Amino acid sequence: VRCQHYEPLRALQASAALRRASDEHKKEPLTSSSQQHFDSPPAGHQPEQEPQGPHPSYTGQGGQESEDYESEEQLQHRILTAALEFVPEHGWTAEAIAEGAKTLGLSVAAAGMFHSDGSELVLHFVSECNTKLSKLLQEEQKLVQLGEAEKKPTDEFLRDAVEARLRMLIPYIEKWPQALSVLLLPRNIPSSLNLLTSMIDDIWHYAGDQSTDFNWYTRRAVLTGIYNTTELVMMQDSSPGFEDTWRFLENRVADAMTMSNTASQVQSTGEAVVQGLMGAAVTVSNAETSRL
Amino acid sequence: RGLAAGPEMHFGFQTVTEEERREKIYRVFETVAKKYDVMNDSMTLGIHRVWKDILMHKMNPCPGTLLLDVAGGTGDIAFRFINYVRSVQQRQLQKKLKHHQNLSWQEIFESYQKDQFKSLGDSQVVVCDINREMLKVGKQKAQYLGYSEGLSWVLGNAEELPFDDDKFDVYTIAFGIRNVTCIDLALQEAYRVLKPGGRFLCLEFSHVSNPLLSRLYDLYSFQVIPVLGEVIAGDWRSYQYLVESIRQFPPQEELKAMIEDAGFLKVDYENLNFGIVAIHSGFKL
Repeated sequence: VRCQHYEPLRALQASAALRRASDEHKKEPLTSSSQQHFDSPPAGHQPEQEPQGPHPSYTGQGGQESEDYESEEQLQHRILTAALEFVPEHGWTAEAIAEGAKTLGLSVAAAGMFHSDGSELVLHFVSECNTKLSKLLQEEQKLVQLGEAEKKPTDEFLRDAVEARLRMLIPYIEKWPQALSVLLLPRNIPSSLNLLTSMIDDIWHYAGDQSTDFNWYTRRAVLTGIYNTTELVMMQDSSPGFEDTWRFLENRVADAMTMSNTASQVQSTGEAVVQGLMGAAVTVSNAETSRL
Repeated sequence: RGLAAGPEMHFGFQTVTEEERREKIYRVFETVAKKYDVMNDSMTLGIHRVWKDILMHKMNPCPGTLLLDVAGGTGDIAFRFINYVRSVQQRQLQKKLKHHQNLSWQEIFESYQKDQFKSLGDSQVVVCDINREMLKVGKQKAQYLGYSEGLSWVLGNAEELPFDDDKFDVYTIAFGIRNVTCIDLALQEAYRVLKPGGRFLCLEFSHVSNPLLSRLYDLYSFQVIPVLGEVIAGDWRSYQYLVESIRQFPPQEELKAMIEDAGFLKVDYENLNFGIVAIHSGFKL
């Protein structure tokens, strides 16, 4: 039942919020060209056009469809990032997302794009933190490669990496238990597990781990354990500057190092014992043969 | 019947002109207006209330939302919206007070005073319908149930809404889009009056894909409903129109495509009761 004479106007309409992104960037060349034409900018005049969106708009000639599809995700990211500001007040909920949408000039109904339990907001935040950590570690590595910094011993490296990552939680620490419970919802477990394992993997990678044997699993399991337990300690730590948490972290990392040393010691002792037994057996058999 | 110009359209299973269709539909709802709610309950065995509740939960409005309910006639969606927003507002108020443990009695008294006037928190709903009788019944119901704040009633055509651009947060049309003469126009108008980021929600009868269920559903629709119409409302023709118009309405995917054509993004639908009813949702982004 499509009305023949009323054609859909989609081709003529650009979407409302996306138009803004491209408009902002269209305004910039306009002001500069108008300055050229009218030729009377007062000396020292700063163009007041500041880029309002942190995202570059893909105003290429590529088909409208692909541009819109790309930007839907981008818009969602923008809303979630804006919503983080309201988390301390509203928690990880649809209300925070609605407030975030409002700051971007969108209607509060835009929060309907996301689940009403705030899952996407938490996952978005965790993923952003992991990206930040990755960048931090990458920069540190660059400094070491350029020779401007010393290569840290493994335990110190792990400690600093975990501490840096956990410090990103401090602004949201009050509502973090809620976030943890959201991450444990069955629906979110695949994504949250994925994020956790890739973060741990990242840390070990920058720590210089190149193992290809069973050690790979042991190391990641151990670090995951350290990270999770430290996070939980941080939840109910009320010491100034979270000193108790960092001390706990230090102890756990030290434990892990001792454990791996003990493991290798046990292994070499075991080898030594076996060799001793072999030698004893050979001696006994020689003694037997020589007696005969 | 060749005098009236205009393209041929369907009215149930009949073929009529556009003008005729509009008149016939107007007369249908004029006649059934008083018995509309009773008939809804008996035809769907009360399940329509659940459908409308699900629509409201899907919308999940927060206080301060401006809702436009088109073809909202007797106000079912509007009243649910007001209830929902009120309870959200209450919950927020309670949460706020829980945090302020050390308030003096004076401060607590004042906070209750302040929020008393805003029990809806600036939320508003505008009910728009093309049919005067339906609006009359709706207003009477509102008075009877005690809804007065944040509610307004407007006579208007969904294809030509009497509102400015970019005004509303949410646009709903529950069981009404079937009766619109040109759905594309209604969708375009919906796009126009919504704010950027606003949401379009459509609750409507749709197509059942399960063959066994489809047969039972057809049986029920064509044998039982017109009879109920005659017995309860004294008008089997209107309910014959109802079940026929459901069959003529585009199925889920087609409606989704039409909504996307109007410019909405992130368009999706949710089947309720295996497709007897579907909720379509889109955003103006």
